[in-house]
Amino acid sequence: MPVLLQRIVNAESPHGVDASHPFDVRQLPNSVSQAIWRGTEVGQSEHAVVSSGFEALDAQLPGGGWPCNAVTELLQSQPSLCEWRLLAPALAGLVSTGGQILLVGPPKRPHAPGLMKLGITEKSLVWIAADTPAERLWTTEQLVKANPRGGAILAWLPQARVEQLRRLQVHAQSCDCPVFLFRPEDAQLDASPAPLRVLATLGIDWQLQVQIIKRKGALMDGSISLPSIPGTLASVFTPRLMRPSQLIVKAMEPTNVSTLGSTTNRRRLRQLAAH
Amino acid sequence: MSAHWAALRTDAACDSSLRIDPQGIAVWALQFSPRVAKVGQAVLLEVEQSLRLYGGEERVHQLVEAGAAELGVLRLAWGPTSLAALACARVGILDGFAGPISKVLDPLPFECVEAVGAHGATLARLGCRTLADVRKLPRGGISRRFDSQLLLALDQAYGLRPEGYPWVSLPEKFSAKLELPGRVDTATGLMFGARRLLVQMGGWLMARHVGVTAFTLHWCHDTMRSKDAGDGGEITVRTAQATQNVEHLTRLLTENLATVTLKAPAGDLVLSATEVTPFIEQSGSLIPDDRTTGEAIDLVLERIEARLGKKRVLRPVLTEDTRMEWMNHWQPMNTKSPVTKVRQVPGPQPTWILKKPLRLDVKGDRPLYQGPLQLLLGPERVEGGWWHRVKDAEGNQQALNVARDYWVALSQHAGALWIFQQRLPKDAVASWFLHGLFA
Repeated sequence: MPVLLQRIVNAESPHGVDASHPFDVRQLPNSVSQAIWRGTEVGQSEHAVVSSGFEALDAQLPGGGWPCNAVTELLQSQPSLCEWRLLAPALAGLVSTGGQILLVGPPKRPHAPGLMKLGITEKSLVWIAADTPAERLWTTEQLVKANPRGGAILAWLPQARVEQLRRLQVHAQSCDCPVFLFRPEDAQLDASPAPLRVLATLGIDWQLQVQIIKRKGALMDGSISLPSIPGTLASVFTPRLMRPSQLIVKAMEPTNVSTLGSTTNRRRLRQLAAH
Repeated sequence: MSAHWAALRTDAACDSSLRIDPQGIAVWALQFSPRVAKVGQAVLLEVEQSLRLYGGEERVHQLVEAGAAELGVLRLAWGPTSLAALACARVGILDGFAGPISKVLDPLPFECVEAVGAHGATLARLGCRTLADVRKLPRGGISRRFDSQLLLALDQAYGLRPEGYPWVSLPEKFSAKLELPGRVDTATGLMFGARRLLVQMGGWLMARHVGVTAFTLHWCHDTMRSKDAGDGGEITVRTAQATQNVEHLTRLLTENLATVTLKAPAGDLVLSATEVTPFIEQSGSLIPDDRTTGEAIDLVLERIEARLGKKRVLRPVLTEDTRMEWMNHWQPMNTKSPVTKVRQVPGPQPTWILKKPLRLDVKGDRPLYQGPLQLLLGPERVEGGWWHRVKDAEGNQQALNVARDYWVALSQHAGALWIFQQRLPKDAVASWFLHGLFA
């Protein structure tokens, strides 16, 4: 052991190991190498995680999924933009094991037939129509304290303040299910006690642009694109409709209009849609 | 046979203004053992047979003492015989098991045993002050000079003769009354008294092995009320699952009382268990199970419902209808939902819908919502509803008929939308509506 320690101490010295060579962790004893964390790595979560259903996203999330025992902030430019597109794969997994999906103050009416097609059965849905910010916070706190195992808590808290979020985060540490808080995009400028903050925007051609603003471990530069066709539209879309950006470009071009000019505008739209 | 008695004195309450009903204490005590007797203002309880069930002497002592304290009983004592326990309770000794029974009882004044105290004047003139003094008197003389009760009581107190009581029987229905120490003006102020009644009800539920699904708290206004206030009011609290959990019932009642306004100050409270069902207790596990930590989710939702209101905690119910508005409606928790299997609607369905379709502006035949919309897929024609008639404000029948062409439209900023165009007679201009979002 003293020989080995000597080697670690000398690792940086010019006459020891060549400086241009990166230090090989494997020459350390197992217990030591496991405890080493490099600044470039994504952090590990000591708590359970729920796979997000997107491989590219799982690779970037600490522990490989949405964290349990902590609140997760999801920022969107407007409410009811892409909640289910982002979370449905993870929630469907929770529902299949008997979990309850608790919605606190959603911005619009959830439509159960549409959610069922995503794998979220109607028996697992609970909609708590809390309107005022105080009611939403109280309800969320009660649910987090109650620790609904196997389910998930989704709360829309556009007006929550930092100290209120910190209170939720403290309670969430003993809650074994993921807690998602939906907040507006502007909130990314404020500090937040949530250990994971994700900004989701719409990309072109049914992609979600996901940017991880805050996470355990290294900062993430840029954003990741997740292919996500909303709802059950994938089964009815034609290959053309899978790339709506090209359609839009065509529709915007004035030359294109003139070629279709003989027909009425509405019929043109229908033709486009029927293909 | 050894015995383990507790004596609870109801005449010495912690605040003299609040009287405690010995019958209520007796009903509460029946949860520990069927051997409960009422003697004057005291309640006697024999728990020897229940010690193992409750996990030992220490635990039973804790449970009984905690419960009694909550019910307002201040004087409580334990002893190997009922009269010894009662005597200890009278002088304020908690544990009559501290030594041999004669050592504990001998130094006590003889008034502690009621039958002996009845002849207090004569005994005092004989020079007796303690029970030991009375016992030193010749037995033959005592039996001739005094009535037979004195010797019998003395022997029973020292465990030389068996004791028997008419046991209190468990009432079929629970209803308990409490007179409040003062006039209470606010509904939340009733909780102090209601809590005592709930503890009593908890004991009754345990003794009967039932759980409560509905209970009613009734309050009576005092005589100083105004004429239009009426006699009183009541509130019925329902739970989804039968429960014996006093803490949960207390919290439910607190939330419910928070929304009540008293018309006049209240003087009396009556609590009754209106609906009870047999209760199956969960058996304890040998292996510590971490799944029992935290409240059950149903209990929390019930509490949230109690605070926010019935129509705010909702679960979906599906119906076989092609119209978007009636495909899925939301109803309060714990209302029975139809068991019929509902076929899923074919085709795409949005995940959010608007309660009322939003009329969209149109620019050159193109609907607008946060910029121009690109129609992608459609039309999906939804028509029907002539059979669905409702009465409007004037009382006229109106059919909720719809004739719509639904389209999937793409917005640059809002994603995929579910919009429809109303189908109208030929010459009318159809307008576009936003109805759902594929979020």
